[in-house]
Amino acid sequence: MSSLTEIRDETPPPLTDAAVRAAAPRRNRWPARLDVLQSLSGLFLALFLIAHMGFVSTILISHEAFYAVARFFEAAWLLGKPYPALVSGVVAVVLAVFVLHAWLALRKFPGNLRAYRAFAEHRERLHHGDTSLWWLQLWTGFALFFLTTVHLYGMLTQPALIGPFESADRVWTGNLWPLYLALLFAAEIHGGIGLYRLAVKWGDLAASRARLRRARQAFSAFFIALGLVTLAAYIDLGRAHADRAGERYTPPATTEAR
Amino acid sequence: MEIIHTDVLVIGGGLAGLRAALAARQRGHEVVVLSLVPAKRSHSAAAQGGMQASLGNSAKGAGDDEDVHFADTVRGSDWGADQEVARMFVHVAPKAVRELAAWGVPWNRVRSGPNDAIIDGRKVSIDEPAAAHGLITARDFGGTRKWRTCYVSDGTGHAMLYVVGDRAVAEGIAVHERMEAVSLIHDGARCHGAIVRRLTDGRLFAYVARATCIATGGFGRIYKVSTNAVINEGIGAAIALDTGVVPLANMEAVQFHPTAIFPAGILVTEGCRGDGGLLRDAAAHRFMPDYEPEKKELASRDVVARRMEAHIRAGHGATSRWGEHLWLDITLLGERHIAGRLREVKEICQHFLGIDPARQWIPVRPAQHYSMGGIRTDALGRAYGLDGLFACGEAACWDLHGFNRLGGNSVAETVVAGMIVGEAIADFCASERGELTVSTALIRAAHDRAAAEFAGLAAGLGAESAAPLLARMQSIMTERVGIVRHGDALQSAVDELQQLILRSRRLGLRSSRPGANPELTAAWRLQKMLKLAQCVAAGALQRTESRGAHYREDYPRRDDAGWLKRTLARWPAADATQPEIGYEALDVRRMELPPGWRGYGARDAIEHPDTAPRQAEIERLRAELAGAGRDALQDALLPFRHRLPPQLRGANARLGDPA
Amino acid sequence: MIRLFRKAPDSGRPRRLTASVLRHNPADPASAPHWQDFVVEEAEGMTLFIALNEIRATQDPSLQFDFVCRAGICGSCAMLIDGRPGLACRTLTRDLGERFTLAPLPFFELIGDLSVNTGKWLRGTAERLRTWVHAAGRPDLDALEERMAPELAEAIYELDRCIECGCCVAGCGTAQMRPDFIGAIGLNKIARFRLDPRDTRSDEDFYELIGDDDGVFGCMSLLGCHDVCPKQLPLQTQIAFLRRRMAALGF
Ligand SMILES: Cc1cc2nc3c(=O)[nH]c(=O)nc-3n(C[C@H](O)[C@H](O)[C@H](O)COP(=O)(O)OP(=O)(O)OC[C@H]3O[C@@H](n4cnc5c(N)ncnc54)[C@H](O)[C@@H]3O)c2cc1C
Ligand code: HEM
Ligand code: HEM
Ligand code: SF4
Ligand code: F3S
Ligand code: FES
Repeated sequence: MSSLTEIRDETPPPLTDAAVRAAAPRRNRWPARLDVLQSLSGLFLALFLIAHMGFVSTILISHEAFYAVARFFEAAWLLGKPYPALVSGVVAVVLAVFVLHAWLALRKFPGNLRAYRAFAEHRERLHHGDTSLWWLQLWTGFALFFLTTVHLYGMLTQPALIGPFESADRVWTGNLWPLYLALLFAAEIHGGIGLYRLAVKWGDLAASRARLRRARQAFSAFFIALGLVTLAAYIDLGRAHADRAGERYTPPATTEAR
Repeated sequence: MEIIHTDVLVIGGGLAGLRAALAARQRGHEVVVLSLVPAKRSHSAAAQGGMQASLGNSAKGAGDDEDVHFADTVRGSDWGADQEVARMFVHVAPKAVRELAAWGVPWNRVRSGPNDAIIDGRKVSIDEPAAAHGLITARDFGGTRKWRTCYVSDGTGHAMLYVVGDRAVAEGIAVHERMEAVSLIHDGARCHGAIVRRLTDGRLFAYVARATCIATGGFGRIYKVSTNAVINEGIGAAIALDTGVVPLANMEAVQFHPTAIFPAGILVTEGCRGDGGLLRDAAAHRFMPDYEPEKKELASRDVVARRMEAHIRAGHGATSRWGEHLWLDITLLGERHIAGRLREVKEICQHFLGIDPARQWIPVRPAQHYSMGGIRTDALGRAYGLDGLFACGEAACWDLHGFNRLGGNSVAETVVAGMIVGEAIADFCASERGELTVSTALIRAAHDRAAAEFAGLAAGLGAESAAPLLARMQSIMTERVGIVRHGDALQSAVDELQQLILRSRRLGLRSSRPGANPELTAAWRLQKMLKLAQCVAAGALQRTESRGAHYREDYPRRDDAGWLKRTLARWPAADATQPEIGYEALDVRRMELPPGWRGYGARDAIEHPDTAPRQAEIERLRAELAGAGRDALQDALLPFRHRLPPQLRGANARLGDPA
Repeated sequence: MIRLFRKAPDSGRPRRLTASVLRHNPADPASAPHWQDFVVEEAEGMTLFIALNEIRATQDPSLQFDFVCRAGICGSCAMLIDGRPGLACRTLTRDLGERFTLAPLPFFELIGDLSVNTGKWLRGTAERLRTWVHAAGRPDLDALEERMAPELAEAIYELDRCIECGCCVAGCGTAQMRPDFIGAIGLNKIARFRLDPRDTRSDEDFYELIGDDDGVFGCMSLLGCHDVCPKQLPLQTQIAFLRRRMAALGF
């Protein structure tokens, strides 16, 4: 192609406003919906995680407390007898949101090696906090993809096996503690960044960003610390209970018939 | 050779070029705009202060109209302006502001009720009328009797250029960027377009057009210290000069801006003084009232710049290691005002000086700022000498500004001239004379000549290199053809420039590189710039009077009897080292405002013999037509409406008009 | 009275600066991108504009870079300074180390060395986003202008201050991955026209321009744009605002 035609090609046709408006097909609204869904699913998961850490860490209060929480979800108090399948149901819902979220987030992943490299180089050059955070979110998200799947599969298939001994045995004797350790870090870091991102994505916050960043760090730090102590409690209990692994927990003064 | 055909070729993508292009495009002609840089990076974007138009909305502008604007402009020009052009201009300026407003320029607006301002160093409160709330407001600028300068904070030129640039996109006008016009295709009578060099790879193209318009801006870079962008090298004017038939007018009329930061030369807007900033000397003394008790810091630019230089010469300058300067004090405006209305000034001080103007004084000294001279055109922008060649904006000498341009009148000129000249271009294209009749032999000859010029330079084995010659030229211009001029210094400048021109014909390049070659580009431009510099110096040497920005120590009086005329410089032959200087008289008998005192500065002009009779005639006409209405009087004094395109002839509505 | 040095020079001698410049001439088939060091002696108040021009005048006349206004207002001279996009003309060398790197802006087409073709991309963006006031008919030039609240005019100018330097796009990770992403500059422009009452376009019309993953929904809020913008435009606020408006149309 000669440079003459190149130059000619730069000459755009006159754009009359009405013509363009009439000619353009209406764009569909799915990108808007998907963007909102991505954020809502992330928000749901993050809120769930906060609550979930609350439940799981009741082990730090007492075995009974954790036991009570676990049974609570089986809804014996409501339905007269426990239905572990209800837990499976909850798990299934979380799983669905999780899958949805992962699928939506995947769209943001670098689509090919060129894109991946371009981002990696960009991040290294720029030394920019929020850009690096996204990278971290990408990798923790990627890790969560596997870790959470394993965890949720366990919860989905054995909903009844949640309790002080049962959980502790799974953590220690079942050798799941390394997975939980990784999951803990990945989830709390990813969730913390995710919540921060929700704020800057939707909010009018340019001025309060520094405060927001500190809040994010505090969030991750608090939940990682709580998680570590909780996990330590499970490990401790698991080791003590190792020789009796498999034994179900029964609360000391239970009046409920099982 | 590659040829590109278009109806209209506009060389220059600043405000003037783009606005003219729009006018021609709206009349249905195909337009191509050339620019050295993306259009929105043109130096029009640098205009911070504002644009004059007599809307008269704000309290301090009340009572303003075309007549007041006209008188200010002519006085400011030291009677060098073409008064017909000035009339056309002041009439269209309000329309231009309103058009830009409709297109999206976010002009600052009148806020009704009490508004804080600083006048003459004192805080005052101005009560804006409720009726004007939301209309376009104005600020004070040097040399005007009313507050008339419409503005957008201190990014007026930026906002205007972006709106006009985007309009050009909307109209589908092609802008070919990084393209430099290097010569005009012409046969000595008719212009047929230009030979153009693509700066990214050095290739030459022939743009063949029915009408060609040069709107390439100023040529400040022939001076060492200039507020102009580094691309303001005047190549557009130089290629017109190169034709040998097109004259450059009033090249010696060079304006210096009083307040460029020292030593970088970056401008801080006149708005600083307009808003109440003060000039101080080494002893912190506010010296302007000593010289100009009436207008003080707000006398016209030439006066302030000259007073500053004189004050420095009298030993009152503050010294730093780069030399002497004075101070601009805007601390009294307060942090809020500076952060809001003068933000760019604040940023410039921070980034280039490392100071906070709300607390510290700004070191300033006058620097080259504006070229009143340029390609001589008639009132419709038609260049002298070549049919089909037009010019507008700072590159042209339409002659609105005479020997001194008022602040705010030049961005106004760009759009107003663009509106008028663009129509004239369209008329020309539509006329019989606008038919394209060029022979390919002529195009080829022009192309080959340009190609040979570059090839010759690229192969140049001469011992001279461009950078030191350029630096030398710039020093000569600043030191000897600067604010205060003297015959001896001017003569030595002309002589040495002649030497430099000869030396520039023996350039050698140090690098050769495929694609863009910045060294080759610079070497080629140097030869053109030297010719412009010589036109300035020679014109200044011959003009033995002082008028506006042209100030001769050895001839300090304005001499209307001898010098009420426009300088026309032509370059006689390729191997010449000096322009041929001729003159074109201004006709006092056709002036609406015969020469008189400017209202500031010295009051010692040598009177023109026609002045008194014309004055008497005007008084007679005024008396005779007292009841006949303003338009009738205008037509008797200086008819101008008929020269405007029909859609620009209407009367401008103002707030107080009877309904 | 003026403090032209933030850091006082350590010794009487000026620093010797080493500028590592990423050089490449795409017009030359033999050229491959490589770093080249240039040494210049620092002077008081030296900017990269001064330093680069000195290098070109005294060391390598073939070095390519773009300056126009040299006053930080035209947006021509954006480049990566130590990896960060910024305006070279208003970068004082005293704010840099003795060694620093200069590289062309990524994302844009390379013309040569430090010069990139932002103009071409910006023209495309203007056409794509139709960045002009869409109003019906021609304005009446003889009549009084339409009124506008002074605060609104100022708010529009606040967004109109963008100098199209391209720093925000070069600082955006999304743009590096997706060449069709319109970047903060494009989103800010849409926000500017949306704010302007003279523009008759509705949110539905704007959705047609930015309602996809190359538009506002492609932004991942990396905020590199916001943090590098030399004009300190409120980009985060504007993008979040547009996202809310555009997302609302999905329901
Ligand atoms: C710092 C500063 C502040 C100012 N402030 C004000 C103010 O407040 N108010 C006011 O009224 N005036 C002001 N002025 C003056 C005013 O800005 C200019 O006079 C006016 O903008 C010039 O516009 P223009 O369109 O003629 O030229 P420019 O805007 O300079 O445009 C020239 C165009 O020509 C192109 N070009 C040049 N040579 C060639 C070539 N050989 N081939 C192809 N293209 C070429 C360039 O790329 C550019 O696009 C200021 C000037 C400066 C320097
Ligand atoms: C397969 C597992 C997961 C993957 C691959 C993943 C990936 C991602 C990615 C890439 C983003 C950034 C999206 C963007 O920038 O637009 C993101 C956002 C987010 N993620 Fe995840 N994530 C996963 C699981 C989780 C979990 C378990 C949580 C709960 C703690 C979570 C919470 C969030 C939140 C709150 C956001 C912000 C939402 C938004 O930007 O709109 N994610 N995720
Ligand atoms: C409804 C679904 C879920 C249920 C019922 C559930 C339940 C549990 C239970 C009972 C434990 C204790 C250990 C065990 O018994 O194995 C646990 C631990 C843990 N879960 Fe979940 N979980 C669910 C979803 C998730 C999700 C989506 C995540 C994160 C992405 C997650 C992250 C973790 C982590 C990090 C731990 C270890 C906590 C610690 O450090 O102490 N869980 N979960
Ligand atoms: S938004 Fe800022 S960084 Fe982006 S182009 Fe505009 S001025 Fe440059
Ligand atoms: S950096 Fe890019 S991803 Fe969005 S917030 Fe800025 S445009
Ligand atoms: S040269 Fe204009 S912004 Fe740097």
